[in-house]
Amino acid sequence: MIHTIAFYIFAAMVIASGALVITARNPVHSVLWLILAFFNAAGLMVLVGAEFIAMLLVIVYVGAVAVLFLFVVMMLEIDFAEMRAGFVKYFPLGVLLALILVSEMILGIGAYSAGSMHLGTADGVGTPLMGESNIRSIGALLYGRYLFLFESAGLVLLVAMVGAIVLTHRERGTVRGHQNINKQVRRRPGDATVNTRPEVGKGIEL
Amino acid sequence: MTAFFESLGMNYEWAWFVATICGILLIALPLMLAVAMIIYVDRKIWAAMALRRGPNVVGPFGLLQSFADGLKVFLQETIIPSAANKGLFLIAPIITFTVALMAWAVMPFAEGAVLADINVGLLYILAISSLGVYGVVISGWASNSKYPFFSALRAAAQMISYEVSIGFILICVILWAGTNNLSDIVMAQKGAGLGIVNGFFFNILLFPMWVLFLISGMAETARAPFDLTEAESELVAGYQTEYSSMAFALFWLGEYANVLLMCALNTTLFFGGWLPPLDIGILYVVPGFIWWLLKTFFFFFVFSWVKATVPRFRYDQLMRLGWKIFLPMSLLFVVLVSGYLMLTRYG
Amino acid sequence: MQPSTRAPKWAKGLNYDRGEAVIGIEHYVVVSSILFVLGVLGIFLNRKNVIVILMAIELILLSVNLNFVAFSAFLNDLVGQVFAMFILTVAAGEAAIGLAILVIFFRDRGTIAVDDVNRMKG
Repeated sequence: MIHTIAFYIFAAMVIASGALVITARNPVHSVLWLILAFFNAAGLMVLVGAEFIAMLLVIVYVGAVAVLFLFVVMMLEIDFAEMRAGFVKYFPLGVLLALILVSEMILGIGAYSAGSMHLGTADGVGTPLMGESNIRSIGALLYGRYLFLFESAGLVLLVAMVGAIVLTHRERGTVRGHQNINKQVRRRPGDATVNTRPEVGKGIEL
Repeated sequence: MTAFFESLGMNYEWAWFVATICGILLIALPLMLAVAMIIYVDRKIWAAMALRRGPNVVGPFGLLQSFADGLKVFLQETIIPSAANKGLFLIAPIITFTVALMAWAVMPFAEGAVLADINVGLLYILAISSLGVYGVVISGWASNSKYPFFSALRAAAQMISYEVSIGFILICVILWAGTNNLSDIVMAQKGAGLGIVNGFFFNILLFPMWVLFLISGMAETARAPFDLTEAESELVAGYQTEYSSMAFALFWLGEYANVLLMCALNTTLFFGGWLPPLDIGILYVVPGFIWWLLKTFFFFFVFSWVKATVPRFRYDQLMRLGWKIFLPMSLLFVVLVSGYLMLTRYG
Repeated sequence: MQPSTRAPKWAKGLNYDRGEAVIGIEHYVVVSSILFVLGVLGIFLNRKNVIVILMAIELILLSVNLNFVAFSAFLNDLVGQVFAMFILTVAAGEAAIGLAILVIFFRDRGTIAVDDVNRMKG
């Protein structure tokens, strides 16, 4: 019962947030609705038992990708009105597309519920380990059978990181005063302060 | 606790639901009280280090100072700047505070005394600290004012930079303990140091990680010496400038709840949580919760001590520390720890 | 995720032989499809606004992730979750590069209207 209520709450919020992402006027609001959508999708995944992927979704999407979006949207000054110009013009076409996809969905689910369509059967490769938690089973699979894919995913991330840095890097030139932070951090109190004892009425020569 | 409610004749699921609600209240209410008291303790410690007295007027020994402050803040008028984005302006401190409390769901206070004993406990805590960034960024942006905005961006950049090295340090701990479950990590620390000391800090590979975690924890919660984003003498109040009354109180409480969380994580991950310091039979007579409390309080004392003693870091020095020193070091230690474990445990 | 072993009173008429629970795979497929449609609509309706297009793409990837994870749970096969992890990786990389390109585009042109990106000179 709780499970059902939780599912419906998460599902309703995911769909509502998704709708608000694409229709919000202000891009910052769009990003915030996107964050809510990710969060609720993670909740749905926890309900189904995939807690590792759910946490990963929050850490990667909400913690990194959405922060990236937020920073970019906040720093770029965007003229909102101009951006929404094409909204009404393409609305009917969009609704038509949505109706087609919805009808396909209804056909598919109807066929499944009527029993004429069956889900496939797993081929035993990815069966979870007996008695182990979700994260251990995924670990066994990922570092065992799919090790190469895992390593190449790491390389993909490395390339993306290098690419983003190379694209946005600006040569500031040597006009900027160069501070040597190592030298600053290495400074000892003996170099920075001097103990003197001035006489009464006389000043100090700095 | 579920069994107790089930015995009252409730359906299993509703019993679980009510038990969870009670568990949440049992953690959140004492936590709020603890946060209020810890602010008082913080001020007393700084005062003692500066040979001052600290709050000693309100109530016996000044114990009611936090409540007086809370009352003052509560009775102030909530001012919302006219150019500010009202909804977001009010949501930002709520996010900060809620997220700070959420992470306590997985904290083990004693053997079996944890609200949500999930197998991805540490990942959950990482996820929650990622969410903490948003309260800061949204508050700065919603204030619609230049200086809070820049301060918020700097604070957010600081938080995410140190989250990366915290992530790698947590990986070292996970590798050594073999599990993400916080209670199991605590149990794995039993006798981990030469068979006598209960704690990961005693072994030579994880001790530098503990030092890094302590410092990164201070940087993550924007606590001195990394508190230039809210440096009272420099930036007015940074991203909190436009906030007054309850909203400000929520930020303030959220920050201290985060600090307490970092102290609690230090004890749980490196110092043995609710286990006594040494693995000697007689020390187990003292309840686990008392040990946990003592250790967490000790870490809070260290946090406070550092704030009273050390001068502030400049922003570029802080970023350099996070990216150019902590990150390579923690990466190196991930390699060292996994290498050592391959050779000794799993090889 | 297996259906609960205690058959609750309100779960009459469910075909447990086919492994049905109250929340079945259809529910997750519906949610995932609606999100997918919303993502595609987002791209349609916000043609000028690159950031919302990128966010709509993230919505599409999220719906696909949800679909994979749901099927992985109902078929008791972890390969779906492993693949969802890789989708996550690629989505993060793509968001980073997309936003980097957007930032230098904005630096250059001063606007993010991609309707008239008709100059190759960068």
